[in-house]
Amino acid sequence: MKEKSKVKRTLFKSCAVLLVLMTGLCIFFSCQKKESPAKGQRYVVLSPEIAEIIAVLEGTQNIVGVTAECNWPESLKAKAKVGQFGAVNKEKIIALKPSIVFASSLEQQAIGSELSKLGINVVTVYPKSVEEMLQGILTVGDAIGEKNRATFAADSMRSELQKLSRNFQPNPRPKIYLEIYREPLMSVSDKSFVGELIELAGGDNIFLELERDYCRIKSEDVIKAAPDLIICYSKDTRAKIKSRMGWQNIPAVQNDRIYFEEDINPDWLLRAGPRCVLGVQRLQELMQYSVGK
Amino acid sequence: MKNKLLFCGLLVLGIVLGWFYLTAGQIDGNILLNVRLPRLLLTLFTGMTLAGVGSVYQMMLNNPLAEPYILGVSSGAALGSVIAGLAGLFILMPVFGFAGALLTMLLVWLLAQKKGQFDKTRLLLSGIIVGMFLSAVISLIMYLFQQDAMLILGTLMGNLGHIFSATEYRFFLILAVVGLLVLVLIHHDSLTLDVMSGGDLYAGSVGIQVHHLRQRLFVLCSLLTGIVVAYAGIIGFVGLIIPHIVRLIVGTSQRKVYPLSLLGGGVFLLGCDFLAMHLTALELPVGVITAFIGCPFFVWLLLRKKA
Repeated sequence: MKEKSKVKRTLFKSCAVLLVLMTGLCIFFSCQKKESPAKGQRYVVLSPEIAEIIAVLEGTQNIVGVTAECNWPESLKAKAKVGQFGAVNKEKIIALKPSIVFASSLEQQAIGSELSKLGINVVTVYPKSVEEMLQGILTVGDAIGEKNRATFAADSMRSELQKLSRNFQPNPRPKIYLEIYREPLMSVSDKSFVGELIELAGGDNIFLELERDYCRIKSEDVIKAAPDLIICYSKDTRAKIKSRMGWQNIPAVQNDRIYFEEDINPDWLLRAGPRCVLGVQRLQELMQYSVGK
Repeated sequence: MKNKLLFCGLLVLGIVLGWFYLTAGQIDGNILLNVRLPRLLLTLFTGMTLAGVGSVYQMMLNNPLAEPYILGVSSGAALGSVIAGLAGLFILMPVFGFAGALLTMLLVWLLAQKKGQFDKTRLLLSGIIVGMFLSAVISLIMYLFQQDAMLILGTLMGNLGHIFSATEYRFFLILAVVGLLVLVLIHHDSLTLDVMSGGDLYAGSVGIQVHHLRQRLFVLCSLLTGIVVAYAGIIGFVGLIIPHIVRLIVGTSQRKVYPLSLLGGGVFLLGCDFLAMHLTALELPVGVITAFIGCPFFVWLLLRKKA
């Protein structure tokens, strides 16, 4: 009989200890969770550029959902995914109960206007030039209540870009061919965001004008333009570029000035976001190598 | 007499067009030899094959709407190319395309076979069904990989601007020579095809092994179509309208229609590609140009038939 009550008491004791431990743990974890959306701010971000802008304005902790393309900063990987850039799942967005949805570009505007009908606050930012990107930072800053931080960020970015541009003015400017697609060949015009960055960095994008910002081009036009530098984002390889018929006379091919994603992160150049400053810096480094030669 | 005149006329037109094609704009020897000449050869070979195969299919299937793509092979080739392109294996795109064409051909062959018979209606239906299925797969891929839409569109609308490497070019030249030989070989069946247009029963009664012939032509034509689609994508209307134009001028005898179709197809596609390159600053997909010229013609053909 005594034995039984002893066992009971031990059981009771251990239960009590466990309970205290669990309560402690709960309190501990709930304290940890303080990072989660404050002030009822919940953002769903559909485009990677805006995610980067929000990161610069230190609002990432309020982001509750992103599209698969939003890969910077790293912490976005843990956020809920609401589809891909061009194929967004509306139900998932609504389920996240966002206070603001950030959208960009033409294909997203349709979704944006549908979400607006449901009373969701949609902010569209679609920067196509450096100036528009800086303006976009202000717009996003306004929307998330970080106006001062946004003004500061935009101003310092502008002066940083101006400084970079002033300090590196090679003569003659290296001619740059940026390949964004291989089959068919596609490149960028000076009017595109990345074209503007190339010019700003002191380079000379070989396609001054194209029908569209990102456009199909002819192999022979690249040969004629004789670029000093090739940046290849088209998944092709160095050996294969060198073996393209007729390309052997191109200076970039002769001098082995062909650069790939691992040499210069495409997101720094192709994404109209704050990291374009890094892109300009890296471009200048690459050009210095070739000017030095 | 009429067809000899037409043949000479086309030849002269082809040479003039070829000259402009090679030398338009400011170019040097490097571009002429390494960029434009390969493109010219690819264009000529593609146009000839499409029109030749089209004329054979129209006779063999006894269907005025038949064209090289009707038996599904092109969709298989396009799917193969697209898969290679998505994987970043650009140099292997033609190889994959050709493999896709072969697999599709085998599948259609098996479906069309019934108790040793190789019936034309069955062949036509099998080809169309397989082609539709593979097109649906391409559409699905296009939806899933939106960032690669240009590659898929390029394959579906035709892209003669294939960039060769030196080795690849040599390989293509060998393929093209073999292809031309096959095209010549097919011409030997032209007379038989003429007889066959009178119906299987009639052709059988004069000693033609109808099913055997149909099988042989199906395999040869599929191989040719496979090569062409693997390099140039799907270029519509050439294989449909060129044989019809030729028939309107010289009559329905396949012996006359076939060689003229070959030449006409080559010259027509050369002209279309020239327009595609130079009409606007932005290079247009050549399949759109052939369709722009081909569609009105087709409507006219239909109206004429009604009257």
